[in-house]
Amino acid sequence: MDYFFFIDFLQSLTDGLLFGTTYALIGIGFTLIFGVMRKLNLAYGAAALAGTYIGLAAFLSFDAPPTLVFLLSALGSGVIGILVYYCCFRFTPADYPMASLLASVGMLLFIEEVVIHASHGMPFPYPSVFRDATIELGDIWIRGDLLFVFGICVVAMAVLFWLLYRTPLGLATRAVSQQPRAAALCGIDPTRVNLLTFGITGILGGIAGAMTAAAVGVLSPIIAMGLTVKGLIAVVIGGLGSIPGAIIGGLLVGAAENIFLLLRGVTERDIYVMLLLFLFLVLRPGGLFGSTAGRD
Amino acid sequence: MDFYFGLLQIFGVHTLLGLSAYVVLLTGQVTMAQAGFYAIGAYSAGAATAMFGLHILPAVILAGLVTAGIACIVGFPALRVKGLMLVVATLAFGEMVRLFFFNLTWQVERGGEMVGPNGAEGFRAIRYFPENGWEVWHVTVFIWIVVAVIMAALWWMDHSRAGAVLRAVGHDETAAQSVGLNLTAVKVGAMTLGGFIAGVGGGIYAHTVTHIEHGVFGVLLATFAIAYPILGGLGSVFGTVIAVLFIQGFLIEGLRFVGDWRSLLFGALIVVAMNLRPHGLLGEHAPNLRRIFGREKTEREALNTKEAK
Repeated sequence: MDYFFFIDFLQSLTDGLLFGTTYALIGIGFTLIFGVMRKLNLAYGAAALAGTYIGLAAFLSFDAPPTLVFLLSALGSGVIGILVYYCCFRFTPADYPMASLLASVGMLLFIEEVVIHASHGMPFPYPSVFRDATIELGDIWIRGDLLFVFGICVVAMAVLFWLLYRTPLGLATRAVSQQPRAAALCGIDPTRVNLLTFGITGILGGIAGAMTAAAVGVLSPIIAMGLTVKGLIAVVIGGLGSIPGAIIGGLLVGAAENIFLLLRGVTERDIYVMLLLFLFLVLRPGGLFGSTAGRD
Repeated sequence: MDFYFGLLQIFGVHTLLGLSAYVVLLTGQVTMAQAGFYAIGAYSAGAATAMFGLHILPAVILAGLVTAGIACIVGFPALRVKGLMLVVATLAFGEMVRLFFFNLTWQVERGGEMVGPNGAEGFRAIRYFPENGWEVWHVTVFIWIVVAVIMAALWWMDHSRAGAVLRAVGHDETAAQSVGLNLTAVKVGAMTLGGFIAGVGGGIYAHTVTHIEHGVFGVLLATFAIAYPILGGLGSVFGTVIAVLFIQGFLIEGLRFVGDWRSLLFGALIVVAMNLRPHGLLGEHAPNLRRIFGREKTEREALNTKEAK
């Protein structure tokens, strides 16, 4: 193995790990919703995409500064997350998971089509910060915008952890996810917790969508599918229902994606990332941090 | 007239797609892999006729068998996990198949030109029907014979022990396991059968459109596959057919005047239908012909009256 290959490899690995935080955020979103509702929200990636487009609309219409664009993306996605809850989860029967699952797939297609209609399917430039800044560590360059993405995602996770473990709201959320009936008996309204969880995960998704768009530099509707599938793979690798698992899984997916990009090229890279998923399904179906919950 | 025959062909291949998901859904598993199986069937049947000059019938059956084999292999790791994880695994599998065909270039020379899958361009010139002088109505009749055979087989299966076993697993896995059913065998079996039907459907689809490319076999098609049986109801095979007629006939063809906005309707329809009728149009139980026509009391009613006395 020659030196340049080694450097390329390390460079890919670093970029991948930095970018993997966006997958980790999406993975946390899936995991949180699964935790409180025992259901999969497949419309999540699409909600993140739609929120990002709301931020983009502000950027295009009155040339909003990047901070405002990111903020609007996150909030917009949060609102759409709540909308998804009301459309797909609130009124579908709780004991028949197929209904809410199919409804969320329908929502995924619906949101994606709305976005494609509104944007005429064209990619748009998305604002970013620190695009020209790089930090050089020996022969490895760290892109400033990726570092920014990484930083924002880490901050979002820290805020989430504070919310979950230091506030009454977080206590209620964790109670519902551990034992919904007991939580309801203690006076916690599960509907309210579910609603808030969808709002919070929506905001996380919006941040992930905005950061993905910022790192790529353009926003196009195709990122919804990528976010959905990669986020789900991150969750499966980490173990469904585990937040640390989702973070590790996200970083792993990001790193693997970039390394396969280097080794096999852009058209084949996703095949190998998905093979990774099957490897985990065969060897460790519960995921890295899987509890018994992973098997249901 | 050809337009309506073409429409019937679309109904036929989509019915096969829906039926392939129907079998798996009976066991309570939601699979997003049907589009991937459909793609495998389409490419292998296309390869068999266009590249190696097989007759359409063995080619389609071959495509079904190949797909069934792959479905069986995929079924084992995927079905080790239950329910929601299976959705993830099959979703990833479907995308993986699509990307595989996106990258696949394998051409052979036949009659002076190169035929075969060519990466992103897709697989052109699967011209078995026009080359052999089949007219449009021949093809339509052929498709609906296949559909009828598969529907009859599934109807029969539904009313035999096998159908009861599938439904038992679908309704309550623990109960099914405790009466001695091998869950893995049942689920992998259903997946294999679903794979066979999807392969046959995909093989026929490839020949009706003559040009296939990876983009067709995306998440939208996978959603169509599970949406037909769930929207129609898992009670019997007719739910799937009715849903296909409604979605393809009314929503996609009938509402052509709405223009582009039509594509929004499919997603919205699913969301609305799942809120209002989560168990599908025909419900969970097979429609009872005798009850519909009111000729005789059904067994349950007879039993009730006996108890009442």
